[in-house]
Amino acid sequence: MNDIMMEINDLTKYYGDVKGVEDLSLKLRKGEIFGFIGPNGAGKSTTIRSVMNLINKTKGQVLINGKPFEKNDVETKRIIGYLPSEVHLYDDMTVKKIFDYHESFYSKTNSSTKKSVHDRREELAELLRIDESKRIEDLSLGNLKKVGIILALMHQPALLILDEPTSGLDPIMQNVFYDLLLEEKNKGTTIFYSTHILSEVAKICDRVGIIRKGKLIKVENVDSLSDKSLTFVTIRSAQVTDIVNELGVRIISEEKNYVRFANSIPDNELIKILSHYTIDKLLIEEATLEDIFFHYYTED
Amino acid sequence: MLKREFKVNLRSFLIWTGVLVSLFLMVYLMYPSLIASDQMDQLNEMMKMFPPELLKAFNMDISGIDTAFGWVKTEGFVFVLLITGVYGSILGTNILLKEENDKTIEYLISLPVTRKQIVLQRVAVALGYIFLMVGILLVFNGIALHGDKDFDAKQFILLSITPVFSTMVIFAISLFVSTFTHKTKKVFGIGLGIVFASYFLNMISEMSDKTEFLKYISVFTLADIRNVISKTEINPIILIVTFVLTASFIALSVVRYEKKELV
Repeated sequence: MNDIMMEINDLTKYYGDVKGVEDLSLKLRKGEIFGFIGPNGAGKSTTIRSVMNLINKTKGQVLINGKPFEKNDVETKRIIGYLPSEVHLYDDMTVKKIFDYHESFYSKTNSSTKKSVHDRREELAELLRIDESKRIEDLSLGNLKKVGIILALMHQPALLILDEPTSGLDPIMQNVFYDLLLEEKNKGTTIFYSTHILSEVAKICDRVGIIRKGKLIKVENVDSLSDKSLTFVTIRSAQVTDIVNELGVRIISEEKNYVRFANSIPDNELIKILSHYTIDKLLIEEATLEDIFFHYYTED
Repeated sequence: MLKREFKVNLRSFLIWTGVLVSLFLMVYLMYPSLIASDQMDQLNEMMKMFPPELLKAFNMDISGIDTAFGWVKTEGFVFVLLITGVYGSILGTNILLKEENDKTIEYLISLPVTRKQIVLQRVAVALGYIFLMVGILLVFNGIALHGDKDFDAKQFILLSITPVFSTMVIFAISLFVSTFTHKTKKVFGIGLGIVFASYFLNMISEMSDKTEFLKYISVFTLADIRNVISKTEINPIILIVTFVLTASFIALSVVRYEKKELV
């Protein structure tokens, strides 16, 4: 149990009769980056807002470090860094003021903490190239996101909860951010990374949870997900109908004497079966992570 | 957090205090010439023609308006009660909801603070500003009126602090109402409604014995000006009721806020 940072048990949230998430359970291991992926409206933000106690859970519980995380658990809040999908900060403040304000909540205990929070803030501001003299209301969406990232990271949390963190960042900054997260991971930070961008998951996540219509449908290691023997096969043959019947596969597209389908039969077995037929043309393509993801999404 | 809240609410405080002080300043600049003129006698004659119920509603039955202090006791404090009441109501509806309105609540709630701290620190700021507003007006009026021929220091001080009672309760009720929604504009009208409905109920309740019962549903009964003017004392029951109502609505606001969905 000691290596579990966050545990969500049977999380259910209904907005009246409308389902937000249902019976969602997952465990985040310490020091991993867990990708939480799903399209818009799948329940990602509802899950995160329930975890952060911004909304009330209909059912279920969230444990952090083995302890139930309640609304007023200030000690647990101290070890969490949270970045909402849309960053809204106090418009009347400058970036420096909001950083100072944030620091004041985490620097009360002892001077060494204060020093490290302040040092980290300066490192991050330099890395993400943020001008502290600017007013919040004058910041572009991307710069506002960067300020949000610094606020989530500067107190060096053990658990980072990030909701669509790269939206608004330019590609160069996205790469800086990925490196930053990998650096955090190497320090032992656990990261809950919600996104709808698959390439991000492939790039930085260790495991991925796929959420669909409020339900967690799959949790898998990113490597093994990529290794899944899912291929796309295109065949041209006069015996297409017989082949499809024998293989029992899900057809993606079909024309006369031509078929394309998703296949999980190992290549050597597939070729053995196909050798009984007359094949004009055969193409076997390796599926990308995106293909695998959509495969999970479209099958019922 | 406390320091920031004082700063955020400073501008609105300065505007409302400015409105109050300017109103009185204007009257004090006008009054000497008004009192000195012959029209004052005509005005007093005219006042006698008004029905006693109406005069009672403006406290004109127990105080004349032939001095500046007399005006303060009658019409003057009607304005003070209304203006501080509106200010209290705006503070109550806005001070918590602002974070939800501006969507900064997601950031605030991620900080290591409890929801109770969020509510109570804002309550402290609001009550601080209400006391300060009344205090500033007390000092300003005190300087302006101390030379007045019927100036009574004790009566003046007691009169000056009466708006605190009604304003505190209006603030606490508005704060409680604000915990039922996410948008200030939805409860803004309710807050102001409480102020004006209360004021008119209070005025009507003064007019006749038949309508006297209305005073029990008006917040302005707590600013017991008539008693202060006629007996130069504050009824201790008023103090108790004010304290109980304010504390109860603040406690209810904390309970509601603890359960509230903030996005």
